[in-house]
Amino acid sequence: MFALTTVIGVSMIVFVVLRILPGDPLVALLGVEGHAKMTPADRAVIMKDLGFSDSLPVQYGRWLRDIASGQLGKSFFRGDTVRDLILHRGPLSAEIAILALIISWLVGLPVGIISAVRPNGWADAITRFLSILFIAIPGFWLSMLAVLALLFWFGYKAPILVVHVWENPWQNLQIILGPAVVLGLAQGAYIARMSRSCLLEVIREDYVRTARAKGAVERAVVLRHALPNALLPVITISGVLLGFVLGGSVAVEQAFGVPGLGRALVTAIVERDIIVVQNLVLLYALIFVVVNVLVDLSYAWLDPRIRYH
Amino acid sequence: MADPVPSKLRRSAVTRRSFLKTLGVAGATVGAAPAFLRSPAAAQDFQLRAADPAAKPGGTLRFGILNAPAHFDVHQSGTIANLGPQAPMYDLLIRRDPRDGNTIIPDLAYKWDVAPDGKKYTFHLRKGVKFHDGAEMTADDIKATYERIVRPPKGVVIPRSSLFTAVGEIVILDPYRIEFRLTESRPRAFMLGAFASGWNIVVRKKTLDDNGGNLRQVMNFPGTGPFRHVSRKDKEVWIQERNPNYWNKGLPYLDRLEIYNLPPFSPELGAAFLSGKVDYARIMDPVSWRKAKEMPGVTATAMNQSVIQAYFFNMKRKPFADPKVRRALHLATDRHVLVDVVKDTAPMQVGGFVYPFHEWSTPKAEMEKRIGYQKDPKAAIQEAKKLMAEAGYAQGLKNLDFVVRDIASFKLWAVAIQAMLKENLNVETNLRVVQTSQWFEEAGSGNFDLAISAIVSSLMDPSDYFTAWYGKGGPQNYSGWTNEEFHSLAHNLEREVDENKRKAMIPRAEAILENDPPLVPVAWEQIYDAFYNRVHGQNATKFFGIYDVTRWDTVWMTQS
Repeated sequence: MFALTTVIGVSMIVFVVLRILPGDPLVALLGVEGHAKMTPADRAVIMKDLGFSDSLPVQYGRWLRDIASGQLGKSFFRGDTVRDLILHRGPLSAEIAILALIISWLVGLPVGIISAVRPNGWADAITRFLSILFIAIPGFWLSMLAVLALLFWFGYKAPILVVHVWENPWQNLQIILGPAVVLGLAQGAYIARMSRSCLLEVIREDYVRTARAKGAVERAVVLRHALPNALLPVITISGVLLGFVLGGSVAVEQAFGVPGLGRALVTAIVERDIIVVQNLVLLYALIFVVVNVLVDLSYAWLDPRIRYH
Repeated sequence: MADPVPSKLRRSAVTRRSFLKTLGVAGATVGAAPAFLRSPAAAQDFQLRAADPAAKPGGTLRFGILNAPAHFDVHQSGTIANLGPQAPMYDLLIRRDPRDGNTIIPDLAYKWDVAPDGKKYTFHLRKGVKFHDGAEMTADDIKATYERIVRPPKGVVIPRSSLFTAVGEIVILDPYRIEFRLTESRPRAFMLGAFASGWNIVVRKKTLDDNGGNLRQVMNFPGTGPFRHVSRKDKEVWIQERNPNYWNKGLPYLDRLEIYNLPPFSPELGAAFLSGKVDYARIMDPVSWRKAKEMPGVTATAMNQSVIQAYFFNMKRKPFADPKVRRALHLATDRHVLVDVVKDTAPMQVGGFVYPFHEWSTPKAEMEKRIGYQKDPKAAIQEAKKLMAEAGYAQGLKNLDFVVRDIASFKLWAVAIQAMLKENLNVETNLRVVQTSQWFEEAGSGNFDLAISAIVSSLMDPSDYFTAWYGKGGPQNYSGWTNEEFHSLAHNLEREVDENKRKAMIPRAEAILENDPPLVPVAWEQIYDAFYNRVHGQNATKFFGIYDVTRWDTVWMTQS
């Protein structure tokens, strides 16, 4: 219920904000010359054609109807449906987000464990330094460095076409790997910090001491007894981090020149393509909410105490 | 009277066989006009060819240019995002020769007559020309196309309508002859230039009727052009194939066009070209272009563009009502430095109020001696200070609101201009960077003191932009400037048919604009192209603007 309220709230906010922002969206539609020569009568006809002369509640109702139909409305400009845009570009962004999440776990968790089992040692110092560094560096800046490095060392060139994984997996991987690594490293740093602190807390618990006293090897103590109980907050933060991945992908896709949804959102904002922007923002909000609901539900599965309550 | 076409057209456009045939037909005729335009039968034989006789068919051209148009209605557009990908699918009534970018040659009209008083233009249309959907092109389609351009329906905004304000009736004489009757005379070069504008593509009457006269959201409407639509992925690529039924036999040479969406002046475009992902790149950034110039097997060219970069004054606000203040700011702006400031962002050149490369404008050498355009700005600054003192602003001006479009070159310039005005005249400005859509709202509502942007014209003929940029109530006269002497001169210039008299008016107009500036010219844009030497048949050095010559019909490749 709260999730539904959040999504409706986001839809209303984004709908209203896009319509009260300063600037004339017809500049992008008609171009500089055309806009200069537009008469008030022309403006009235064009706004009517685009459906912007109706009252806000009517426009909002129409948007809800478009969502219900699954078309999500048509681009302000060329008349392409937002649904087609999402179906064409969405897979790339989804791949980047999933791969980034996998990388963040693959990097963050081992680093957190190494850091926690030998606290304040040299390995801990190095991993803490690196994790703070990756938290502090903005994704778009790291992306630009990565693009330059790939350009000079490997002759990397930004893709000029969308290549889906089912069309050419190798080319597809070349497109998504860079953004996924950049986003994954930044989120991995959070995972490392969180898993370290949780593990340090759990590792002092009585049941861990008991496991050691029973003669379990240290590896089993950490991985089988301590880690599962330390993972709950890490899973929680992964849900939150997915939001950062989605948000971060907008700038990172732009830096890498990846033609995904993030880049489509930037272009739509520059063009003032209101219909595309409102749908993409709503989609991002919806994904964020759904992931957090799934994370909440996973608590019960992971922690039997929550099921009992 | 048949319209004269330069002899070089005859030389290069006509095959040996058609030339001999034409010579036979025209043997008894005397005069400057080419023979093949005098006789309809012979004129219809006119077929355009690539300049190089070795041109051969085949191949795919991968062209990098902005191709994400805001809509698909070429008539309503003002951006290369439309013409870049769409021009190859359409023809015009008459056109600029793609081999020199300037000469006006036949297209769907094989011949045209202009009445001696300049009030009647009759076009003779080719027979048997088919649209891509199989329908035959007739005078009905030309009439529907031009009725729409001349008098657009409500809600349809066509920037070139202003070129045809003198057009009264458009009369179909028969299915292959159409007449444009003007209410008052216009210079022939101006009118023919207007008809040959790359924007005025011929569309089917039925297409317009079926879509209520608005093609903004109609992606693939039939043309008669050398290429046909195959597929399009939004903001990625537009693929077109050779039109096998093209009326100009032998054209196009290319089998296929792949037009990639690569934004102007962007590193993406530069990288795509340098890595060989595209064969031809247009509107390159200077850094990539310089790199391309050094590459073996690559040709890098520069051409003049129909855009002036300028900053405007708000004439409704007190200091700028005084021409002395405006001239002072004009003189205190060092154009040579400003061109240098953006040398890695966008290619520019120094110029005044008239296209600096136009045959009627002040020659470059003479211009560089003129105060305000000299490489050493000392004299100009001294004069500017004197003018400010005379206007009562010897102490300068404070807190001017300087509205800047959020585009890299404008932001660089705004900072430089801010420093120049402060240092030279003690004029203090507050920069306010806004999105393009907001810039036009601010400029339109007069919410600024100074505002920097770019303005575009369709023709190099001064009568076009003297009206649009400097005319009273002109759509791009953002300063709200008026000067009765200038307006009267511009009025006469637009109606004078004697080219010598028109030419004599330009220095007078320039003098008025220099002393009572409607804007401060910052720079005039250039276009950088680069292509691999496997691409032939495109001579992008003499073009004026990128809008009239983007059809690729005379382009051919030695390998693909």
